[in-house]
Amino acid sequence: MSHQAALIVLILLPFAGSVAAAWVPTNARNAEAGLSALIGLASLVLVVLLYPAFAHGGIVRDEIAWIPQLGLNFVLRMDGFAWLMSLLVTGIGLLVVLYARYYMAPADPAARFYSSLLAFMGAMLGIVLAGNLIQLVFFWELTGLISFLLIGYWHHNAAACDGARMSLIVTEAGGLCLFAGVLIIGHIVGSYDLDRVLASGDVIRQHPLYRPVLILVLLGALTKSAQFPFHFWLPHAMAAPTPVSAYLHSATLVMAGVFLLVLLWPVLGGTDDWLWFVGATGLITFVLGAYLAIFQQDLKGILAYSTISHLGLVTLLIGLGSPLALVAAIFHMMNHATFKASLFMAAGIIDHETGTRDIRRLSGLWSFLPVTATLAMVAAAAMAGVPLLNGFLSKEMFFAETIETHSGSVIDHALPYIVTIAAALSVAYSLRFIRDVFFGPAPQDLPQTPHEPPIWMRLPVALLVLACIVVGIIPGRTAGPLLETASHAVLGADVPAYSLVLWHGFTFPFLMSMIALIGGIVVYFCLHTYLATSEEGPPLLRHVRGQRIFNSVMAALSLRWARALETFLGTRRLQPQLRIVLCIALVAATWPLVLHGLEPGRRPLSVFDPAFAILWISGAACAIAAAGLAKYHRLAALILTGGAGLAVCVTFVWLSAPDLALTQLLVETVTTVLLLLGLRWLPKRIETIGTAEARSPMVVGRRIRDFAIAVVAGAGLSVIAYAVMTRARPGGIAPYFLEHAYTQGGGRNVVNVILVDFRGFDTLGEITVLGVVALTVFALLRRFRPAPDSADVPQQQRLQNSPDDADIQRNIGDTVIDYLTVPAVIMQLLFPFIAMFAVYLFMRGHDLPGGGFAAGIALAAGLILQYMAGGIRWVEKRLTVQPLRWMAAGLLLAAATGMGAWLFSHPFLTSHTAHPVLPVIGMMPLASAMFFDLGVFLLVVGAATLILIALAHQTIRTQRASQERADTTAAGDE
Amino acid sequence: MEIVLSLAIGILAGAGVWLVLRPRTFQVIIGLTLFSYAVNLFIFAMGRLKVDAAPILAAGQAADPAHYTDPLPQALVLTAIVIGFATTALFLVVLLASRGLTGTDHVDGTEPDS
Amino acid sequence: MTDWIQHLVVVPIILPLIAGAVMMIIDERCRALKATIGIVSILGMIATAAILMVLASLRADGMAFIPSGVYRIGNWPAPFGIVLVADRLSALMLLLTGLLALAVAVFALARWHRAGSYFHALLQFLLMGLNGAFLTGDLFNLFVFFELLLVASYGLVLHGSGVTRVKAGMHYIVVNLVASLLFLIGVSLIYGVTGTLNMADLARRIPLIPAGDRMLFESGAAVLGIVFLIKAGMWPLSFWLPTAYAAAAPPVAAVFAIMSKVGLYVVLRLSLLLFGAGSGALARWGHEWLLFGGMATITFGAIGVLASQDMRRLAGFSVLVSSGTVLAAVGIGGTGVIGGALFYLVSSTLAIAAFYLLIELAERGRQPGADVLAVTIEAFGRDDEEEPDEAEGGVVVPAVMAMLGISFLACALLLSGSPPLSGFIAKFILLSALLKSPGSATAAVVPGLSWAFLILVIVSGLMTLIGMIRAGMRVFWTPIERMQPRVRVMEMVPVLFLLLGCTILTVQAGAVMRYMEMAARSLYTPQDYIHGVLTSSAGQQPPYEGGRP
Repeated sequence: MSHQAALIVLILLPFAGSVAAAWVPTNARNAEAGLSALIGLASLVLVVLLYPAFAHGGIVRDEIAWIPQLGLNFVLRMDGFAWLMSLLVTGIGLLVVLYARYYMAPADPAARFYSSLLAFMGAMLGIVLAGNLIQLVFFWELTGLISFLLIGYWHHNAAACDGARMSLIVTEAGGLCLFAGVLIIGHIVGSYDLDRVLASGDVIRQHPLYRPVLILVLLGALTKSAQFPFHFWLPHAMAAPTPVSAYLHSATLVMAGVFLLVLLWPVLGGTDDWLWFVGATGLITFVLGAYLAIFQQDLKGILAYSTISHLGLVTLLIGLGSPLALVAAIFHMMNHATFKASLFMAAGIIDHETGTRDIRRLSGLWSFLPVTATLAMVAAAAMAGVPLLNGFLSKEMFFAETIETHSGSVIDHALPYIVTIAAALSVAYSLRFIRDVFFGPAPQDLPQTPHEPPIWMRLPVALLVLACIVVGIIPGRTAGPLLETASHAVLGADVPAYSLVLWHGFTFPFLMSMIALIGGIVVYFCLHTYLATSEEGPPLLRHVRGQRIFNSVMAALSLRWARALETFLGTRRLQPQLRIVLCIALVAATWPLVLHGLEPGRRPLSVFDPAFAILWISGAACAIAAAGLAKYHRLAALILTGGAGLAVCVTFVWLSAPDLALTQLLVETVTTVLLLLGLRWLPKRIETIGTAEARSPMVVGRRIRDFAIAVVAGAGLSVIAYAVMTRARPGGIAPYFLEHAYTQGGGRNVVNVILVDFRGFDTLGEITVLGVVALTVFALLRRFRPAPDSADVPQQQRLQNSPDDADIQRNIGDTVIDYLTVPAVIMQLLFPFIAMFAVYLFMRGHDLPGGGFAAGIALAAGLILQYMAGGIRWVEKRLTVQPLRWMAAGLLLAAATGMGAWLFSHPFLTSHTAHPVLPVIGMMPLASAMFFDLGVFLLVVGAATLILIALAHQTIRTQRASQERADTTAAGDE
Repeated sequence: MEIVLSLAIGILAGAGVWLVLRPRTFQVIIGLTLFSYAVNLFIFAMGRLKVDAAPILAAGQAADPAHYTDPLPQALVLTAIVIGFATTALFLVVLLASRGLTGTDHVDGTEPDS
Repeated sequence: MTDWIQHLVVVPIILPLIAGAVMMIIDERCRALKATIGIVSILGMIATAAILMVLASLRADGMAFIPSGVYRIGNWPAPFGIVLVADRLSALMLLLTGLLALAVAVFALARWHRAGSYFHALLQFLLMGLNGAFLTGDLFNLFVFFELLLVASYGLVLHGSGVTRVKAGMHYIVVNLVASLLFLIGVSLIYGVTGTLNMADLARRIPLIPAGDRMLFESGAAVLGIVFLIKAGMWPLSFWLPTAYAAAAPPVAAVFAIMSKVGLYVVLRLSLLLFGAGSGALARWGHEWLLFGGMATITFGAIGVLASQDMRRLAGFSVLVSSGTVLAAVGIGGTGVIGGALFYLVSSTLAIAAFYLLIELAERGRQPGADVLAVTIEAFGRDDEEEPDEAEGGVVVPAVMAMLGISFLACALLLSGSPPLSGFIAKFILLSALLKSPGSATAAVVPGLSWAFLILVIVSGLMTLIGMIRAGMRVFWTPIERMQPRVRVMEMVPVLFLLLGCTILTVQAGAVMRYMEMAARSLYTPQDYIHGVLTSSAGQQPPYEGGRP
């Protein structure tokens, strides 16, 4: 198969495996492990087979269009370096899978574990193979996410959750910085494609945005590789199952950061900024990590800090930035992956066998697990940089690089000494790992007595250790070619001359190694008595816990401050919201006026009529009084509002809008009835005017502020209204309606023609609104439960009923009926007339004020009158209104009329008109609009009646309810 | 006339806004009613004022726009009135329900602590 | 042949109207029938929207025989009658609405449509309002449809009743009633100054407004803008939103995810149509306020996300974040950015809807006898016939916690804009366009505000992630023994359906973006829209037929 295809398969394989693994029954460990192992093996083989393509430089690219127009394609790109990383990812992945099969307990849900593990492998490969920076970020974040799931695998223990969350937040934050950095790179280069970016290193380095880019990218890389000051998340990630630590936190995930640095070195490297930022971070991390590692009491803790330290070493090398340093960096990445993974696995075995990882409780395990011990010792020796092992070689190259002077600053001169000391420290903790665990007296009170694990659990360790030894002894023939390919891919033509041999003679680097070894041993023996009893953490920095700082900061930021800010910036109360809304609207409306100034227009005013003024003096009085009384005298306020409404109504008549006047009047009536029905359920309110509460400065202040808002709003509205009214009519669309209402709308009442024809669609929507409201009201009132204090019969009714209660012959309500006999009769007689009136209104609608809506309201009012007169039961005995039916019929009729036009292949609601002459009524316009209007009529009747009746019914329902409640309580008493 | 009408709009709106900002549901509903009166008059005013020029065409002769007031705002006001009626009804029921369920007629459904 | 295609434009409005009206007559007890009608009508809408989408694309590719998307209701010539316009943007919104509605309607079948009366009817009317708002080309008609969708949403927000809902509903209703009055003021003021209501006609007249009247027009437009921003949930006009959405029944909250987008849609449409480059003195009027407001909204939303323990509120605040992002994008402008904003809008809407549905399922296990029962028992009073009962059959999802966990993770990724789902793609598209946007790329320096926006978007993403992860760990990783929630397939499928939508967005990002970019471009060439609407009447006979008196 072609190389391109191979790449696609390579990236797809793990994800496919992950999906498959998710479906295998969760307790089938062997099936899961087998599947995963197969996937791992297949990928590994694939990678190995791909080697020839890169043996002598060369790049395999495969591009799949994704969002081409934005320069984002799915590009798979593998060069020698990427190949090396893929080898590590797949190879160690395979071993970890094997190891995990025997490490994980039968109780652990296997499906989740293996599927996440495979997904992680895929994501890691995605990073390595990304040929496009956005794509790299994509998989970068993905690895962070999956590692979150893996660290939190045992989410029943709190440490795991904390560690998982911390690692996620730290690395994702870094990832977002990287994202921003990449975006800026794209902005500079004009493309996210890796090859193009790599080609335009100078452009980027010259660009004013170079430093921000560098910092952002570094933030991404350093958080991922747990470099100082972001190192703190890694030790807490050790709550993960050991296979996860072995895979993610030694070989792959943490390697991503340094991988990125090496990858982008040609673009961003070679500047002082680079040297200082990267180099300094690396150096500090290298030293600090080594120092902290010594004082850990948890085996995995030691390994975690040593990982940090070794990655610091690599970062330092990358920071130094010389070609040779890069080679060394890559070489050390390989070596570190091998020995650290094996060490983690060994630690896992010990944990698994003894039940503890506390180094103070462990000792003399040599006699129990000789094989594991041997392997662990070799690996640890490699970590310490003992000759004949791979660690030694890369460390020696590292030393050689530090001796090279670069800028000749103080740091450069100090560098060799510092790194030697740090190396000594690393020797010390390696030694401690070996001696404290495997030698000394036999262990006391271990949770369980250890014995050698199954061969399959040791095999992965053995293989890795073997690699360490082989590379250590015959580097040239084993690691040599791989390193060559990788560094060639990164450095291009100018790969420096370096010799991978075991023995360079007594050189400075060798001397430094020896010093480090001896120094380390000395350090260890000085400290080990103290360490045997000391608690976790280094003497000085014990209480400076990155994690604790992190958590407290998180808590403060994400809870306390956020809460405070939210309550400060927002509100959950209604009045402030309304106040804000109104004020903003006010400002928005008046701002342009203030900005440009507003002078009244020149249109001549219509003749002033004092009567109109008087009308509005009373109207305004009503409005203001209503505003004042609405709190304590609801009924009065309601009546006054009606007064204002009447003023509005008269105004309409006055200013030649008869339709409006009519509708206003009818709606007015119904609304008032509605509110009257509602009043009954509102609580009694005792006037508090003059009490302390009312006079408190707070309240007064609020009142004044609201008053000001009200005044300004009113003033603003009237100013605008006046300004518009005094301006000439714009040459708008209005004349059209007047001209065409009769000729094409077939009606003389233009307003009505507009409603049912020109803008019939509005009316359709409007009646639907009415219908929906009725529906909602109905739905709500079925749930209605009055407040206890207004549930039972109100004072007035009791008064009216008192004579009935007194007299047995009379039943409740008779008195009222007696009182109301006359009006009742009148109202009942009135009904036919009202109905006639409604029909009349409807018929004339098209030519004279009236129309479906007015008619509907009128009829509804008539019905309500009947309810008032005869009471609910009386009415419903006689005529059964089915409002819902009426409403549905109305809507459907209106819609049908509209769709009728389709038959004539005209658009929706196109009207057809005829003017037949009917007896009695005379010539009347019969427009299809009429049927539409009929629909309006039906719906309005239905809706209005439904609302009113539903409200009126409450009295009965609730009294029945309270009655029953009373009965049940009475029954309870007996 | 224009002055009177615009003042009327202003006063109605002011009274409405004042009530809308009050804490009791009944005040709010009355406020909304008054405010909507003001708004209806405002829409109407946007068509400019004309006395005795109802947009009812005399039968027969062709219509001369100059003799009639602007019918469109009237149509808009009609729609606005209807929708206003609907929303008032709905709000009334909601405030009753809220009163029923929370036992208070405060807009926040709880008596203020102060 | 092209005839019925013509009429398709109005179908998304008529279909739900008829469906809703029919449901009114059907008795409350036969819900199955109602649900069927509802779902059928929704499927119809989706199909229509899809066709309209295709038509819009084909038309733009210069196929003459495709009828224009302009539909003149009542066959009245353009500025006088009401027109519907189905261009790319409208079609897109229609489709989004339909998909959301489908998911919600199916989800509600399991139990929620039993929590109160007329769920399906109200949903249909809500859809009618939404579709109308997306289609109409007339300002006052827009008001009518806004009222319709609001009134329906009032009904839905109170669906199931109960103290919390009524309280929150009260706030929601009052704020929106005030907003409606402002809407009327704005529209009528604009009519008073320009003498027209048709959007295209308005756009044409704006440059011609005499300087003496312009300030009046501006104040009208400003008031109108405030109204739409209230709907869109811009800070500080948005405090009602998280509470109302959190209180609403889960399916309702899910469908509300599109409600705030209506405001965004109108802002997008009008700000580019009326205040585009061609509108003389008013070009780019108010855009900077959108930018500032949007960024403020993102900030507030992100803070809220961090601050809220309750998942429902968290979701509400993420609605704000998404609104803010789109608003700010509109404020910045440029076809690239707008295209990205549209992609983001779709992705975030789907995600939020899925999240609202998911929350209920996830929390069902935590408080046994989900709150709905408590609410109903306490609110239904005596008629208990409508209490959602657990007992009724239905296939239960296996391995439910894993299912829910994965879905939750997906939602977290989508809302925080992390890989691998469409949230990340959207963010990338938006930001890369931002760095390339014509405003900036010409001179290779990006304006400071764009940087601020970029930082804000990224940081808010991180904050969302933190909030989501915390909430998720509390629900899914708590060691305490929790009862496995009983989740029916019928309830899980809609969530997966919405998430699948996001996955498709991710994989097909290229194709989707082409559509979005074309939509954005057409928004930036308003003259085409104006021409299309105003000349649609050319060469057609006036509708009048039949004898004169």
